Amino acid sequence: MPNPNNVAVVAEQFHGSLQQITPELIGAARFLSEKLGTGVSCFLLGHEITPLAERLIHHGADEVIVIDAPQLKEYATLTYKRAVIGILEHLGTPPPIVLMGSTTIGRDLAPRIAAYLETGLTADCTEFDIGDYEHKGKADPSKTGTFKNILYAIRPSFGESLKARILGPWKNPQMATARIGVMQALPIDASRKGVIYNISVNFNEEDLRLKVIKTVRDVSGAVNLTGAKVIVSGGYGLGGPDGFGVVRDLASVFKNSVVGASRRAVDSGWIGYAHQVGQTGKTVRPDIYIALGISGAIQHRVGMANSKLIIAVNKDADAPILKFAHYGIVGDLYQAAPLLKKALIKMGKEKVQ
Amino acid sequence: MPDTSSKAGVNPDGTIDRARAKRMLNPFDRYALQKALEIKRGSGAEVTCVAMGPPPAVEVLIEAFEHGADYGILLTDKRLAASDTLATAYALHKVVHYLGDFDVILTGLQTTDGDTAQVGPQIAERLNIPQITYCEHLSISDRILKGQRIVEGGNQEIEVHLPVLITVANSATPLDYKRFADGAAVKELLRRPEERDRRIKTVSLDTIGANPNRTGLLGSPTVVGKTWKIGDVGGSCIVFKGESIEREVDELMEHLRTNGRNIEELINA
Ligand SMILES: Cc1cc2nc3c(=O)[nH]c(=O)nc-3n(C[C@H](O)[C@H](O)[C@H](O)COP(=O)(O)OP(=O)(O)OC[C@H]3O[C@@H](n4cnc5c(N)ncnc54)[C@H](O)[C@@H]3O)c2cc1C
Ligand SMILES: Nc1ncnc2c1ncn2[C@@H]1O[C@H](COP(=O)(O)O)[C@@H](O)[C@H]1O
Repeated sequence: MPNPNNVAVVAEQFHGSLQQITPELIGAARFLSEKLGTGVSCFLLGHEITPLAERLIHHGADEVIVIDAPQLKEYATLTYKRAVIGILEHLGTPPPIVLMGSTTIGRDLAPRIAAYLETGLTADCTEFDIGDYEHKGKADPSKTGTFKNILYAIRPSFGESLKARILGPWKNPQMATARIGVMQALPIDASRKGVIYNISVNFNEEDLRLKVIKTVRDVSGAVNLTGAKVIVSGGYGLGGPDGFGVVRDLASVFKNSVVGASRRAVDSGWIGYAHQVGQTGKTVRPDIYIALGISGAIQHRVGMANSKLIIAVNKDADAPILKFAHYGIVGDLYQAAPLLKKALIKMGKEKVQ
Repeated sequence: MPDTSSKAGVNPDGTIDRARAKRMLNPFDRYALQKALEIKRGSGAEVTCVAMGPPPAVEVLIEAFEHGADYGILLTDKRLAASDTLATAYALHKVVHYLGDFDVILTGLQTTDGDTAQVGPQIAERLNIPQITYCEHLSISDRILKGQRIVEGGNQEIEVHLPVLITVANSATPLDYKRFADGAAVKELLRRPEERDRRIKTVSLDTIGANPNRTGLLGSPTVVGKTWKIGDVGGSCIVFKGESIEREVDELMEHLRTNGRNIEELINA
């Protein structure tokens, strides 16, 4: 029997390939499970995905509970909901914690499961911890008490100017989704051993109301902001869509680089939403982040502040980005970018010699 | 929702005083409203906007009228205070039941204060209807809705029978900033009691037959334990500022060379 006391992670895969968020969630779950003195269980859903179970163990899971069914070939809200509920029912006792990704799948599925179970769910967390909580509320005497070893789900709130610790101590599972690119995955350990359980679930008429005709993921043409080593981003300071030519040009100097953008540039229609970095775009953590004509508003900053090296070019010496970047150049980006490009190419050549 | 870009209503400790905060239509809900108005234009449907909040939230309905919405419902009740997403969705699904028949429910992707994107799917779960979240395109014919939703690096094509709940992606449509009626004119019109009663209905938990134990603090499985301001990092940025941009770039490169950042590795040879 699978252990219902483990911290659970709903794994995310697309047509048989594990998604970046999954090892990150396992990393977070291990941290929590060690504090609770339990293990980590992964729920793996899909069709012809059984080989992935082993890989989840290598990433740090102790148990993997698999539902492999043709109805799960494409992600669809209602069939996946049925499958997760099926696993939870199979466990008998609800696990203490269930983690999912703050992805287009996790944010679609998690709220439905939480509503079905009438349990708490905290969205888009950037940190997790375990701790105690004393609830003193007078309005709800039935809820007062001291709760030990509960999930601290920590997330930014109110336009990212605050962080809030959200608690749901009254009912298990305590559910949360985690922002992509924030939690640390563990190093892969191919010698790790774990237990794999295969279970099945019955889908009914209602579960099949939503038909997914097809899912297209253009991996080659996709903007892989979260996987890039270098991001060169442009903002409203570019002055127009053509400005992204300069951004692309500078990005071309680097090996594994992608073009990013601020929301104001995206909203102006200069570049697609897939390029947006920030609170309502992607959270990124590249080795180098170069910001051209971006002011550094808090909603942008939260998406890129963890980059290893941030270089900003801005003509306004008081721009907020020139406070939190590592290096700042005060001046016109149209002058600075070509000079930077030349200097970087020179630096690359020196290395080769 | 409170206007997060306005300083009004933010307490010194950083928490929100929702009674004092300036009220505005959640920017994400503008996209949902615009989609609803598109459906209305194509089908003759009527658009009813639902807002849950303290009495001043009526401002949000008036803003929706300026854009072209037909009717508004304001759910307001002291017992709703401190509702989390589950309690909010419970209350809003009771409003939907109260309204009776519906085909499509549109919500914004998320609010800018709560920013959870949970309320839409949780309303759908309570109503036991399918949902399409992150929806970019949709068309309806013969009571079948064909929709396209965003997924990482691509999209999904979905077909579903009405009724359905849609959360509208902010990339679905560029916002059309024109308003169909100016604010002053709408307000003037609403000063006439018959017009106001025709277009805006204010309801309480009792009117809609909602169980007060399932809303507000009592009905919320989560609680905010502690909040703190995100500290200003900064002060550590090395800024190059001078006569010539050439000098600045040179100085930057000098720093990068000597600081052992190994950025050479990342440059195309
Ligand atoms: C709920 C919410 C969510 C949001 N989510 C995001 C998000 O995910 N991502 C995001 O980026 N924003 C987000 N924003 C918007 C954010 O608040 C800012 O409005 C936005 O980041 C500003 O973009 P920007 O820096 O490109 O533009 P601006 O703030 O207009 O800054 C342009 C900068 O360019 C500089 N500049 C101008 N010309 C030149 C030149 N020739 N050379 C050099 N510098 C020049 C200017 O000095 C200025 O600093 C969000 C806002 C809200 C309310
Ligand atoms: N108090 C409310 N009144 C009306 N609609 C709401 C309310 N709270 C949330 N919503 C809807 O649910 C969506 C998602 O909100 P949230 O889950 O808070 O991010 C919003 O874009 C709104 O369309």
